[in-house]
Amino acid sequence: MLTLQSYLSLAAIIFSIGIIGIVINRKNIIIVMMCTELLLISVNFNFIAFSYFNQDIAGQIFVFFILTVAAAEAAIGLAILVALYRNKKSIDVHELRTLRN
Amino acid sequence: MIKEIIFYTFSSVLICSSLAVILFRNPVYSAVSLILSFITSGFLWLLLQAEFLAIVLILVYVGAVMVLFLFVIMMLNINNERDKSSFNSLAPFALFIGLIIAAELITLIWINSSQFNINSLSIQEPDQVSNTLALGKELFTNYILSFEIAGFILLLAIIISISLTLRTRKNVKTQIASEQISVDPSTRIKLVDLKERE
Repeated sequence: MLTLQSYLSLAAIIFSIGIIGIVINRKNIIIVMMCTELLLISVNFNFIAFSYFNQDIAGQIFVFFILTVAAAEAAIGLAILVALYRNKKSIDVHELRTLRN
Repeated sequence: MIKEIIFYTFSSVLICSSLAVILFRNPVYSAVSLILSFITSGFLWLLLQAEFLAIVLILVYVGAVMVLFLFVIMMLNINNERDKSSFNSLAPFALFIGLIIAAELITLIWINSSQFNINSLSIQEPDQVSNTLALGKELFTNYILSFEIAGFILLLAIIISISLTLRTRKNVKTQIASEQISVDPSTRIKLVDLKERE
């Protein structure tokens, strides 16, 4: 019997995997952005599961907007990354201390 | 019964591929396993009768966003081997945080399950209208303003990413349109009266 709890537990597991990935790979910005996508997917899972079990289409509308904003966010983040690499010749987080002092 | 088999198969594939995203040392492998996890979550969304969003997830994410990720990974030429020392030193800490968050979320979900207030009688009936039609009706009536704002956000994303990555090269002759337009004709042409030769 598939209940709402099983879907929510799956989403919670994916969410914590995303957070573990952010902490482990915090030096590599590209992997951190991929882990952000994992977090967004788990949140979308919650919305769609509630939408199905309550028979309310509004949850799917929210997922639609989250997908839109996430696509825009990925595009802008990768553009920032390309500009950063062009100036610094590396994307290591520890190199980014221009604003210090 | 078939639903349970599909759910557990695809969710185990989803969990394994998400683990592969964070554990692979090569970012290209991570991106490919992220594609696999998007596809499996699309299948799971099909199980939840969100057909339109499942197709959109596969088309937009796998077709556009992940291709963008792969392009950037291959364009930047990062040294592919990650730093092993920080990887190993951070792993217990990360595992601690992740296990705490997972345990909290799952216990909260199972304890508070009585407050979710599900009307479970209407679940098994599939909708008479298709999912896309229902979504479109709702989107273009009640959420039309949000829809316009989402379009504006996409426009902003285009403008911002182009302006961030546009680069004007030195030593290349190009047109400067603004200077061309603002030229005053009186400074460019000089009319000289030539006397007729006698």
